This record gives sequence, C-alpha cells and structure tokens, in this order.
Amino acid sequence: MLEIKNLEASVGNKQILRGINLSVKTGEVHAIMGPNGSGKSTLANVLAGREGYTVTKGEVLYEGKNLLEMTPEQRAGAGVFLAFQYPIEIPGVTNNYFMKTALNSVRKFRGLPEIDAMDFLKVIKEKAKRVEMPEPMLTRFVNDGFSGGEKKRNEILQMAVLEPKLCILDETDSGLDIDALQIVAKGINALRSPDRTFVIVTHYQRLLNYVQPDFVHVLSGGRIVKSGGKELAIELEKKGYGWLPATEPLAGPPGRVAEKT
Amino acid sequence: MIFAKARNLSVLPADAPLRIEEAADGIRIHVPAGCQASLVERYDPEGPEPYTTQTKLHVTVAENARLTHYKLVHEGPQANHQSFLEVDVQKAASFESHVFLFEGAQIRNTIQVRMSGEDAECVLNGLYIGRGHQVIETHTLIEHQKPRGTSREFYKGILDDQSRGLFDGLILVQKEAQKTDSIQTNKNLLLSTEAHANANPELKILANDVKCKHGATIGQISADALFYLRSRGVPAPEARRLLIYAFASEMMEKVQLPEVRQALFPCLNLATSIKK
Repeated sequence: MLEIKNLEASVGNKQILRGINLSVKTGEVHAIMGPNGSGKSTLANVLAGREGYTVTKGEVLYEGKNLLEMTPEQRAGAGVFLAFQYPIEIPGVTNNYFMKTALNSVRKFRGLPEIDAMDFLKVIKEKAKRVEMPEPMLTRFVNDGFSGGEKKRNEILQMAVLEPKLCILDETDSGLDIDALQIVAKGINALRSPDRTFVIVTHYQRLLNYVQPDFVHVLSGGRIVKSGGKELAIELEKKGYGWLPATEPLAGPPGRVAEKT
Repeated sequence: MIFAKARNLSVLPADAPLRIEEAADGIRIHVPAGCQASLVERYDPEGPEPYTTQTKLHVTVAENARLTHYKLVHEGPQANHQSFLEVDVQKAASFESHVFLFEGAQIRNTIQVRMSGEDAECVLNGLYIGRGHQVIETHTLIEHQKPRGTSREFYKGILDDQSRGLFDGLILVQKEAQKTDSIQTNKNLLLSTEAHANANPELKILANDVKCKHGATIGQISADALFYLRSRGVPAPEARRLLIYAFASEMMEKVQLPEVRQALFPCLNLATSIKK
C-alpha cells in the first residue's frame, strides 16, 4: 500500500534523506528506528506533507497514487494519519469541535455524508473509552495545558476517530512515563486490524515491547542501513546504534559512505 | 452627524436603578451605591453612505456598585465612529468593559477610567477586527488614584487586507495608589502583509509599592497549527478561519450575558468570514 522509492529530501539547504527505499503492505506494522538526526522525523513529516521539507528525488506511491502531489488535507482524506511528535496546542478550539470538524472533513473526501452532533457525540464517547481518555478532556481546548502523556493519548484518540488506513507515529513514545506508554500502546493495539497499516518511528525499543512490529528498519545517515524482524529491535536495545555501519550522519555527497568515527 | 442617544443603550436588568440623563456634554450615567447592573451599548448600520457617529458617556460607579459595560460597534461600511467613555470608579466599586469593534470605516474608541476610591476594580477587554481599508483605534487610560486598586486590560486585534489597528493604552499609578495590581496586554494577529498593527502599551508608575506588568505581541497564524489542522483533513481555508475564530473566541468567552453573546456571535462569524 506504500512504496517509497529512492526518496531524497532536504530541510532548508541540508539534505536529510539520502535514498530511502521501503515497501509496506496492507496490515503490516513497520518500525523505523535510528539515532537522533538520522532522518526518522523527516521521513514522517515528508509522508504527511509538512511545509519546509523539500523532496529532491524519488517517489512515494500510496495505494498506487503519487502521495507527494497531494495536499496534507487530501492525504488525510485518503487515509494517511500522522501522530505528531510534538502535538500542537490550539487554545480557543475545543477537542470535540476540532475532532468533529476533522471527521466531517475526511468524510467529505471519502464521499460520506456529514455526521450530526448527536451521532458524533456517540462516536467520540465510544472512541474515548477505547483509548482510555477521560470525557472531561473532550471539552477542553485542543492540547492546551495537557501533560505530555495526555497529548499523545489525544493523538491516538484522533487516530481512532478518523479511522485512517496508514498510521504514521512519530516518536509517540517520547517523553512518556511507563504508565502513559502502556495506555498509548494499548490504544494503538486496539486500532490494529488487517486493513490498517502502521509505520512507527521511534528512537527506543520500549514501545515495541507492547506493539509488536512485523518489520524493523534502522535508519542512519538518511538511509535504511539494516532491516529485519522484531528481534532486530531487541538487538539494537542491547548494543545501541554504535555497531551499525555509518551511524553518523553522512558528511559526504550522497552515495558515499562516511567513515565510522 | 449622528449623536448617540439613550436609544443606543439598554440596561440589564431593566429595573436596575441607574440614572441616565442626556446632558449637553453627552450622556451621564450614575450607578448608585451597591447597585449591580449591565449596560449594553450597540451601534448598527445607519446606511451604506458615509456618516459619523459621535458618542460621549460619563459614568459614575458609586461605592460598592458593579457595572459591566458591553459595547458592540457594527456600523455601516463608510461610517466614522468616534466614541469617548469616561468612568469614575469609587470606593470598592467595580467597572468591567467588553468592547467589540467590528464594522465601520473609521473607529476611534477612547476610554478613560479614574479609580477615585480605594479597593476599586477595573477590567477593560476588547476585540477589534479590521478588513478592507478599516482604521480602528483604541486609546485607553486607567488612572489609579487610591490604594489597593486592581486593573486588568486585555485587547486583541485581528487585521486583514490593508486595515490598520492601533492600541494605545496608558496605566497611570499615582503616588498615593500603593498596592496597585495592574496587568495590560495587547495581542494582534496579522492576516495580510499589507495590514498594520501598532501597539503602544505604557505604564507610568509614581507609587513605589505596586505590582504592574504589560506586554504586546504582533503575530501571524501559526504555520504549525495550520499544518496540524490540515493533517487532520481540514482544508486550508477552513483551517485558517478556525484559527482566526479561536484567536477571537478568547474575548467572546469573557462575555457572561447570554443576550450579548447571542448578538455577538453572528457579527463575529461575519467578521471572520475571510474570503481567502
């Protein structure tokens, strides 16, 4: 469902991704791991269409369509969801209103009728229960004054409401204590299904203790340098990233492997 | 020229014992000791052609009285609106004002509050939304004359197209006004590269035991917030409108009176229905 071919991207003048190749089938869970600065978050943001990231080469096919030509809202409508590493606070807009607007927007893209306020309340309450989100948080302003754990849980709630086909989680585990991590992982697992695909970007293996991936890829210097099954994540946890080839961001031009320091 | 008459004013509750007189120098309003009331001041379009509205209000809030003032300026597209409001807040009295400056080619909103009694309270809130070639000015003075006064001033502006907004506010703390507690804030959201916001918050403190602070910001719609909404499927124009509305709603939420809220929201919807 997702084909990334030789993808290169830069932020400003700095090249970050140096030829990513990745093929993801429907229903699979892929973990993308790597040290800081390896390009993990850049990959997640490029897939969601964030401004400021320039694709300089390669292509991304999502269900056979050119993903990179679509606006962020079109991608969301087509079923792509990015859970943010740093969810944005929007004082003045309640969580309920935000999610109702978002749901109706994606429903419009999908050719479905608008959902009315009563039906929406039913949906949101049921989903909130599923991700263990207390109801009072629905009437608060979006992420405004939320703790780190609450913000990440709110991302999972949005994911549950919008029912995406491709979920990209950008460091969803960062900054969470063990209890918050378990709640978030439970939420993710509750959303797993044969027709929903996950790309989980993470620095640490700990989230993968709870959400078992089918494949693990190691990103380093803007490239995938190693791929394997879930045992690769365990190996990384034990040995760190230092034993991998070219763990430092590549200094030279693309194509040249920098020497290990 | 149209001079404001008492017909632009309504008092809530209707039987509140306020004295309202039309005098040569404007309208005089007296809120007697211990009285609690709201005063709603509203200006609707007199027509599409140019005209001028001038208003002068002199308000006295007597000991322990509380007055909440709501003002909605929703004039015709070529109107020139000039208003002057002077308030005397006496001992342990409270004056709270919520001003919404939405429509009118030129709007000048002047408020001068003198806190002439001890333990007086004053809140000045305002929201101005400029589009086209609108010029919207706010000039305020809060003068603390006696000890232990509290004042909170918060004005927000949204400026689009070639509109101009000016906030010019002075908090003056006289020597005798010890233990004054005052905060003044002005925040502006610019929606176009040709819109202008001028912020001129000012503190003048002659007493030596006070707690005062002020600040002003001029910013644009956050690219991060816009992307956040778009990544959830909300089309860019609607996402923008939602963020503008969110910026404005902070001032709307401060309005307690349901009658006023009902009148405000359609005006706000109109004023935030940006064409882009």
